[in-house]
Amino acid sequence: MAILNDSRNEQPMTISEEIGPVSRRCALKNSAIGFGWLAASALMQQMQASEAGSQTLHSPFHFAPRAKRVIFMFMKGGPSQVDTFDYKPQLNKDDGKPLPFDKPRVQFAATGNLLASPWRFRQYGESGIPVSSLFPHVARHVDDICFLNSVYGTNAAHGGAALKLHTGSDTFVRPGMGAWVNYGLGTENENLPGFITICPTLAHGGVNNWGSAFLPAECQGVPLGVASQPSTNAHVKYISNPRISSGVQRTQLDLMSRLNQLHQRAGSEESILDARIKSFELAFRMQSEMPRVQDLSKETAETHEMYGLNDKVTVDFGRQCLMARRFAEAGVRFIQVTHSDTNVQWDQHSDLKVGHEKNAAEVDRPIAALIQDLKQRGLLQDTLLLWGGEFGRTPVAQGRNGRDHNPDGFTMWMAGCGVRGGMRYGATDEYGFYAVENKMHIHDVHATMLHLLGLDHLKLTYRYAGRDFRLTDVAGNVHSAVIG
Amino acid sequence: MQVPGSISRLPVNRPDFVADLSFAIGRGSLLSCASVFFSLAVLPSLLAAGTAQNSEEKSPAANAEYFSQKVAPLLQKHCQDCHGPDAQEGQLRLDSLQALNSGGKSGPPIVPGKADESLLMAAVRYKDEALQMPPEKKLTDEEIGILNDWIAAGATHPEGAVVFAEPAPPFDVQQAREFWSFKSLVQPVVPQDVPSEYVSGPIDAFIVSAMQKQGLKPNDVADRLTLIRRATFDLLGLPPTTEEIDAFLADSSPTAYATVIDRLLRSPHYGERWGRHWLDVVRYADSNGLDENVAHGNAWRYRDYIVDSINADKPYDQFLREQVAGDLLITEDTDELSRRTLLTATGFLSLGPKVLAEADKTKMLMDILDEQIDTTGRAFLGMTFGCARCHNHKFDPVSQADYYALVGIFKSTYTMESLVTIAKWNENPVATKAETESLKAHQEKIDLQKTQIASLVETTKASLVNGANSTEEQFPDEVKKQLADLRAEQKKLEESIPELPTAMGVKEGTPEAARINIRGSHLTLGRPVTRGVPVVLQLGQPLAIEEKQSGRLQLANWITDARNPLTPRVFVNRVWRWHFGRGLVASTDNFGHLGERPSHPELLDWITAEFVRTGWSMKSLHRMIMLSRTYQLSSDSSQQAAQSDPANIMLWRGNLHRLEAEAIRDSILAVSGLLDRSMGGSMLHVKNREFLFNHTSKDETRYDSLRRSLYLPVIRNNIYDGFSLFDCTDGAVPNGNRSTSTVASQALFLMNSDMILQASSALADELLKSHPADTSGRIQLLFRRVLGRPATQEEADAITQAADQVSAQLVSEKVPEAELVARTWSVLCQGVLASNEFIYVR
Repeated sequence: MAILNDSRNEQPMTISEEIGPVSRRCALKNSAIGFGWLAASALMQQMQASEAGSQTLHSPFHFAPRAKRVIFMFMKGGPSQVDTFDYKPQLNKDDGKPLPFDKPRVQFAATGNLLASPWRFRQYGESGIPVSSLFPHVARHVDDICFLNSVYGTNAAHGGAALKLHTGSDTFVRPGMGAWVNYGLGTENENLPGFITICPTLAHGGVNNWGSAFLPAECQGVPLGVASQPSTNAHVKYISNPRISSGVQRTQLDLMSRLNQLHQRAGSEESILDARIKSFELAFRMQSEMPRVQDLSKETAETHEMYGLNDKVTVDFGRQCLMARRFAEAGVRFIQVTHSDTNVQWDQHSDLKVGHEKNAAEVDRPIAALIQDLKQRGLLQDTLLLWGGEFGRTPVAQGRNGRDHNPDGFTMWMAGCGVRGGMRYGATDEYGFYAVENKMHIHDVHATMLHLLGLDHLKLTYRYAGRDFRLTDVAGNVHSAVIG
Repeated sequence: MQVPGSISRLPVNRPDFVADLSFAIGRGSLLSCASVFFSLAVLPSLLAAGTAQNSEEKSPAANAEYFSQKVAPLLQKHCQDCHGPDAQEGQLRLDSLQALNSGGKSGPPIVPGKADESLLMAAVRYKDEALQMPPEKKLTDEEIGILNDWIAAGATHPEGAVVFAEPAPPFDVQQAREFWSFKSLVQPVVPQDVPSEYVSGPIDAFIVSAMQKQGLKPNDVADRLTLIRRATFDLLGLPPTTEEIDAFLADSSPTAYATVIDRLLRSPHYGERWGRHWLDVVRYADSNGLDENVAHGNAWRYRDYIVDSINADKPYDQFLREQVAGDLLITEDTDELSRRTLLTATGFLSLGPKVLAEADKTKMLMDILDEQIDTTGRAFLGMTFGCARCHNHKFDPVSQADYYALVGIFKSTYTMESLVTIAKWNENPVATKAETESLKAHQEKIDLQKTQIASLVETTKASLVNGANSTEEQFPDEVKKQLADLRAEQKKLEESIPELPTAMGVKEGTPEAARINIRGSHLTLGRPVTRGVPVVLQLGQPLAIEEKQSGRLQLANWITDARNPLTPRVFVNRVWRWHFGRGLVASTDNFGHLGERPSHPELLDWITAEFVRTGWSMKSLHRMIMLSRTYQLSSDSSQQAAQSDPANIMLWRGNLHRLEAEAIRDSILAVSGLLDRSMGGSMLHVKNREFLFNHTSKDETRYDSLRRSLYLPVIRNNIYDGFSLFDCTDGAVPNGNRSTSTVASQALFLMNSDMILQASSALADELLKSHPADTSGRIQLLFRRVLGRPATQEEADAITQAADQVSAQLVSEKVPEAELVARTWSVLCQGVLASNEFIYVR
């Protein structure tokens, strides 16, 4: 195993705290072997440019980061803003009346008159932010949360909106936001991927939502399970061998290394062959690292209780959230959890009351636990929590008791890493239909998220097919008001 | 939420629309936008004719020159895209004096002398969120000041008409044609300054001549084993068999190598391998992907058409013509199989990913047309036409008008049967007469069955006491049984009714010119553009498209015109890339200004001219390239050469290639004896237009086949792991230059996937069958089958040692004695299958 040096002792550029140049040697050593290093090709481009004297290779950060990592809680289907975190008293007053202004030019389905929220709102915390009775546990943390009440997108269908939310584009295959973050910052744990998505949905964009598109393959999200399966089945594909033991596999890898060594001796120095040898070693280490991080049995009974693992309502999403915390601790850069099942979970075109109540009950306690747990472990200060669906829902009724898709004004929220807690940022109109004040397009959410990670969305580019691409395409503004 | 008193009515009833506009557009939105191509030609005589009286007493803004010099250029730059000759949003024009005075729907934009009361000033000051112009970016303070001063000083301007020129291309056409890839093809002279020992043909002369100038010299030719492996993987995507290797090693004739190339080119597996390359370029997939991942149930016909065409060495120009306009090549004399072929070929235009649930139907259609244009441009011409959707191309001489000239052609083509969610693409019926008749015959059988049943029922009833009122329950038992049999037969017939074949593809639609979409939005329409191809790429004159035609036939003929330099250059470069791992132009899909320049421009043109001259034959092109000495060089490194040209751009050595995703799988299955070599047909498990993934996230894809990788369904958004991990294309955009990544998840796949485990144990079984008791024989067979060569002593020792170790470990793990040898050898086989030497070709 002599040749199988691991590069553990190398200071990986991606976790460099300092803002300073990264050595070429270090960059080369770390390129193209692991999961999360800055793309080898991009580095090569930069280095060539730097050799030409036009550019120097800098730290991945454009400015000092506040967040080291992101946990994105995706509520598939589109939770209703007016029934959760965007309190609209006027809506209740005008229940059953027609909307006094125009509905959007393009709508997903036909809708009727205004529909009051079936839930009561109560003020919480020092900030006194109103939260509906759907989220009593999350509500206790309002002072840590910045509610983005004025988010809007452009697409009224699940597929387009989910793609827009994850990749910034609803028409073309583009890298997911986690892939961009991974591209920009890499992983902090060289035995783990930099971007993990737990129980993702395969519909509505599927892999494209966490794929790397034109970014180097190392940047893509590694899926653990799928939405249609319980989170107990959330494992990396091919992470274990169904036939042979780890010991036998070790012997096998040693044999292969020996053969590779003999093959290489005959030729000449070929770094790509070296990289391949290392990739097998990394894979082997990951086989033990991954189950270790995913093993929830080491957590205390209190933690299990807190995340709702003892309750069949909350256990599935609770497990996702607890795994997310463990991955965050282990150094994974971008972690996504998805609340969806074999249906489009939050998509209450009818029976809003039944559906949203069931959904909220499944996630409320686990999310609150995640906030609290991160906080007590000191992780909340450098973790960005992001919550939301692909769109919100209309304040007008669809059918008797449902709400249609609404991309024109909905609520996402952020917490942690110095995001201004206890704040409602932006606003929708008096019924919660259109974002009207401090409007925040999905691109703006992305720009702000990258900013918190120390990345300038205008500078985080990748040249592909002759042009520089960004997560925010040609748009995006950082909303600095949400940053404390 | 109506906008009060705006000078230009916003195009929708929502004020936030303007801000949305830049998000509503897709491809081509570049990092910054600037497109002004109207030239203001103020009549010179009027320039001098000031109207201001006593101009010396007033502010300079009161002079007519102030308007011409400051105000007009500003309006021209920022306003005229939407308020000019192409479009008049809010019925407002800001491109002439008359227009300025008369105003738009909301009245005149200016009140002379009263800047604060002028709607124009309100708009540019961004005071009201509902009225902000220009929408994408506020003017600078200086610019706002100019407008303010001018209006405040009385909005003075020259008298009479101000003439705005017709839009002209935003670049000098003649000059633009001087760019290397647009220049006409002229076959260069073959260099003579090269030692003959390095030259087996013109390709070598060009390569070595260029190399010499950098002080490099080529390697020796590779050994025979390396050569046959390289050539076989290259042409078939499979390893040579031991018999093929032995035959080549034993063939001492000077044409031995050429014989191998000819044999490989005759193999039907050649079409599978090179067909797969082509499928990369045309973003082939068996499902839509994007938002609604429904099955392209008939895409496989297009795939099989590609394999057949390539195996038949169909001339490349004809090959392309068929894919763009096959339906229009059908004449009265076309036989029915050729007709099917020609209709199937147009599947090229239909295969793209589409947003099938887009609620805005016009946007959906414009996105589909854009995908067709962009793919045609990239795949055939190396041009990124899609960049000109929202504005003039930022880097290449392609104007927005050029883009909409192309849109007209595709808009006049029928691609979509329905845009209603979930939208449906068109499929052309391709049944032969025999198939139609067989359906008819089948239908007749069913009818006959029905008649028989009816008559049996009738006669039986007539024979009973109650006559017509009898029920079947009263029938005699044997009649009941007879009826049941007849009905079962009918059911069987109905279930086996043949479906008449259809193929994804296009046909002629309603011809119409497309209008420019200002800033790429279909909600702000500009002037209509005559259908055609980009001006800079026209050959002599514009396409002659008759009113009743879409223009696709003319487009196809233009693409494949021997005078069009891009088409053959791009293709020859693609073939070169697939042989050498790097194109002579490294950016295979971009021959525009942002693409790379050719490393060997004269060589590229020499081969290209030869390719066209000899009838666009792909197989001849392979022979030309593969028989060159350059292709046959060994991949050994030399320290000196590696220092001055580490990337081997001058081609002084052979390149080391990792096998492509499909070749890895096919090769593993081939050497383990599992590969099913049958060709063609569909392997999709769901019906046409059905979901691969609906909202349930249940995975309907299945990849448990032993057929060649080419035939596994290409499911967008969920490509088979064994492929996506190893850098195969995503099937969504053209890609003639796959990357090669090395990541740990590839290792996991080769360590733990069912595919590799199944292959390893099959290979182990074969070894044990051939050599039940002879370890050394097994090792030699293993190496010969997998690596094409005998094992060295060192290697044999390593295997023997590992065998003992694994065996001991398995014993300690209580593996039953009977399974021990097979399990041990399976582990060893996997080690060799996953080794670098097998996965990398020298």
